[in-house]
Amino acid sequence: MSETFIEILRRALDEELARDPAVHLLGEDVAAGGAFGVTRGLAQKHGAQRVRNTPISEAAIAGLATGAALCGLRPVLEIMFIDFATLALDTLVNQAAKYRYMSGGQLAVPMVVRTQAGAAGGAAAQHSQSLEAWFVHVPGLIVIAPSSPAEAYGLLKSAIRLGDPVLFIEHKRLYTMKEAIAENAELPAIGKARIARTGEDVTLIAYSAMVTSAHEAAEQLAAEGVSVEIIDLRTLMPLDMNTIAASVSKTHRAIIAHEAVQNGGLGAEIAARIGDKLFDELDAPVLRVACPFAPIPFALELERALLPGAGNIVRAIRAQLH
Amino acid sequence: MFSASHSNAVTPNIATQEASSRAPNAPSPEDLLRMFGTLWQIRTFENEVQRLAAAGEVPGFPHLSTGQEAVAVGVCSQLAHEDLLFTSHRGHGHVLAKGSDIESTFAEVLGRESGLCRGRGGSMHLVDAAHGVMGATGVVAGNLSLAAGAAWAAQALGSKNVSVVFFGDGATGAGAFHETINLAVLWKLPILFVCENNGYAEFTSREEHSTVKFVRRFAEPYEMAASTIDGNDLLAVYAEAGKAIAGLRHGDGPYLLECMTYRLAGHFVGDAQRYRSKEELAAIREKDPIERLKRHLLQSGVPESDLDATGERARRAVLDAVERARASRHPDPAGVMEDVYAAPWLNAIDG
Amino acid sequence: MALVAQEIPKVGLVMENGRLVRWLKNVGDPVRQGEPLLELETEKTVIEIAATVTGTLVQALLEVDQEARVGDQVAWVETGEMLIPPAATPPIASRTKTDGEQRITPPAVGSSPDAEPSSDTRIRSSPVARRFSAQHGVDLSSLVGTGPRGRVQLDDVRRAVEAQSAKPGRAFSAAAGPVAQELSSMRRAVARAMTLSNATVPQFMVARAVDWTSVQALRSEIHASRPADSQRLSVNDFLLQAVALALVDFPAMNATFSGDPATPEARILRASGAHIGLVVALEHGLLVPVIHDVDKLGLLELARRRSDCVLRAATGRLKQEELEGGTFSISNLGPRGPDRFTAMINPPQSAILAVGRQRDCVVAINGIIQMRPMSDLSLTVDHRVADGQLASDFLAKIVEILEGTTWHTA
Repeated sequence: MSETFIEILRRALDEELARDPAVHLLGEDVAAGGAFGVTRGLAQKHGAQRVRNTPISEAAIAGLATGAALCGLRPVLEIMFIDFATLALDTLVNQAAKYRYMSGGQLAVPMVVRTQAGAAGGAAAQHSQSLEAWFVHVPGLIVIAPSSPAEAYGLLKSAIRLGDPVLFIEHKRLYTMKEAIAENAELPAIGKARIARTGEDVTLIAYSAMVTSAHEAAEQLAAEGVSVEIIDLRTLMPLDMNTIAASVSKTHRAIIAHEAVQNGGLGAEIAARIGDKLFDELDAPVLRVACPFAPIPFALELERALLPGAGNIVRAIRAQLH
Repeated sequence: MFSASHSNAVTPNIATQEASSRAPNAPSPEDLLRMFGTLWQIRTFENEVQRLAAAGEVPGFPHLSTGQEAVAVGVCSQLAHEDLLFTSHRGHGHVLAKGSDIESTFAEVLGRESGLCRGRGGSMHLVDAAHGVMGATGVVAGNLSLAAGAAWAAQALGSKNVSVVFFGDGATGAGAFHETINLAVLWKLPILFVCENNGYAEFTSREEHSTVKFVRRFAEPYEMAASTIDGNDLLAVYAEAGKAIAGLRHGDGPYLLECMTYRLAGHFVGDAQRYRSKEELAAIREKDPIERLKRHLLQSGVPESDLDATGERARRAVLDAVERARASRHPDPAGVMEDVYAAPWLNAIDG
Repeated sequence: MALVAQEIPKVGLVMENGRLVRWLKNVGDPVRQGEPLLELETEKTVIEIAATVTGTLVQALLEVDQEARVGDQVAWVETGEMLIPPAATPPIASRTKTDGEQRITPPAVGSSPDAEPSSDTRIRSSPVARRFSAQHGVDLSSLVGTGPRGRVQLDDVRRAVEAQSAKPGRAFSAAAGPVAQELSSMRRAVARAMTLSNATVPQFMVARAVDWTSVQALRSEIHASRPADSQRLSVNDFLLQAVALALVDFPAMNATFSGDPATPEARILRASGAHIGLVVALEHGLLVPVIHDVDKLGLLELARRRSDCVLRAATGRLKQEELEGGTFSISNLGPRGPDRFTAMINPPQSAILAVGRQRDCVVAINGIIQMRPMSDLSLTVDHRVADGQLASDFLAKIVEILEGTTWHTA
């Protein structure tokens, strides 16, 4: 049976709430179902104490979740748009991320911050960003970006059980995506990428909604005789360099695609690591397909002109091969 | 793959039955003498930090609470072992008053391996989970909401534990302060906000920070219980804190306790105190909490020799602990990557 | 807006044809004056032809592997300025013939002061191509890269490896009669040069034997005093310096003949310095790189230059100016060469010294029979520049230096 991304997230949260009494959900409108309906019905089912609404106070509710995590709860905090994570940065970066280290290992922060990113047609600059690069830059945070419902299900459960602060970044455009999950599927390991498609000619590294574009691009290129291997990173921090290394050692070409702005994006980090560790495997420069250096505009044709998609990936791979 | 553990590797012992807090009545003579000794412990500790910092032995910027000891001792003497304490960058006194080991605390200030945090945290970031010291923040107002979260956890887990957070009046300038008290009142969290209003934030006096002279006024719009007391009067602090904490355990909701006090040392060690007049400093010594408690105890008939002996024992204990801390091992750089994450393989250099 | 034709210039004395190796710019690319447009293989080496104006490359008229003669138009560049309109109307692909016409156009390589340093002798290759070629013993420099900017890529190396393992050689055709073999451009160049030499230069030869004892002793001494991995001296280095010093003493020998001797316009051009060529034998031909100002170089520096030149001659990476400007060449056929031989002058030079193989000879020195390592030196001279007396005095001087002790070592 196929479920949408939202339905699957809800099911994962529901199951975790049932499994572990320490799991608590909180966030703006969360008890009412959340801005995208992910938590709908959960307050009714598990009680108002387990699923709680908060005022519009990102800084304080991030702190609430952090403090509670220090003291035995497993909070799952929802920050409605990753763009609003800016308001919670002091707590996430200066407190949550550093607690284990600064306390010399005495305390941990087993909390998950669920948020969503990406452009989806007219949300404009303050509601459309992809800011994962900020968080992979902070030692102590785990950053996950699932690419599909089935992936999200397993990764969210793994994140809740992990024991360190996790930024779980969903994507607006994936919320309506449908997929069926195998029953009793093994939970994916945090920090392990998956080969979403095998290929011989080029390694295409992507995550979140870009994996869908990657598949489109690979189909198009297959018709031209180019065989693309797609790596779905799943976890952005820590990065699975082993999977990347095995793939690039086979294809000798690497290209990274993400929706976030290219400059200072995660693609730059991955490209640098490939250049460092896999230099002798490369037959071409490592390329990135990403968003140009501008805020996301409101008008739909402007937004479309800016956002990278399958077309950009296809053109980049062609350039890399010839 | 990670093990599906439910709770922290090291969780403070959260009691689910009535915690053994003190009832809000007058302290016994033994209590008073004990608290007198603790005041001297903290005073000596801070003087030693100042002395060694001047000699170049203390890394970074330690912040001293010299002169503010009565707030720490008065409040913490009303806390149970299992209650949760959060403090600020000026937290040595609170940590000692909560019961942390003197040598381990000083070793952490010196950045040694035997320090509370193995030298990873330092003076501004003391953590002693075993004694309920849940953390100190170097970012002003950074952990007010964490303290609220701890209170929430205590409530959610059905314990009678309370959360206490110490901060200076400067923290009330931060948005996080107002967001947090709003939430605390909304969710009726068992949290005691203790504001040490010493009239100075960083280097400027309170009047330049806010038109609101007394921090307790911030509680009014939220109809939160609050009071302002003389923070240099240990007995007043002890009594008021006792009332507030009893109310918290009773489920009355959060409390804001404003303690007017004075810093005898500068903002941080090395700060030249140019911004106070000599008359001001003389008046301050008049308000010295140790002197005031001593006067009170003498008036109530405690022999001076007892007081001197208690003070001397406390000082000796600290001086011995400081020497042991000074002689202790420095951290091994080979371990610098430990404890960034739970799983050891995540502590790779690249991330 | 003007369209300016880019033509093949004449590069070097003998060049008439070239073959397009690859375009360095695509149609539509902006080009700057002096920026390389394409790579052209001449008889001797590969050179870059640069744009003569700044603008946009709007049409390429030549395809890869196509031959072009000096003067042929190979591209159109559109500039932003108003220029005198070109004689030919664009964009017809025209190939102007220049039969017999010697058009001296400034060489494209390194002409304008702000041209990019062209004639990049570095081989571009991808890391994995390098690794693969090392693993399979393929010489990267022998490959033509199909990647951007001529980069050698993995597939290029793979193809080379496959070709290597393919059966070598071709079966003789069953048809009767001699097998006609096409000449490589290098073979053609040598053939033309030697024909010219034979036809236009009256040559005679004088010979002397030289005793290598002194040179050998000095060579060993120098090697012993230097680290084991430093540049070794070869006998050619000593020959080069000896010839250079001798040319300084005999400036009349350091000259070339120019013009028709039957006319008053004939000239003898004295060279500015001792620029000496060294004949380098290659698998299918030879090249004569010229080392300039040899008289100003010490032995060790000379050895470095010589070694570098020879390597680049062997890998086809010599610059055009390194094949020009000499008045004198040295040809040493090595220890398995003939006892003596007469080399032919390489026009437009005026002399060449052929060095026979070293042999232990019995000689009489001051009436005593001794065994000495000796070689025959044969000097071929252009009789228009020098006659017998001058030539033999010059040769004697060379021998005197070689058997003496006045060397510049550094």
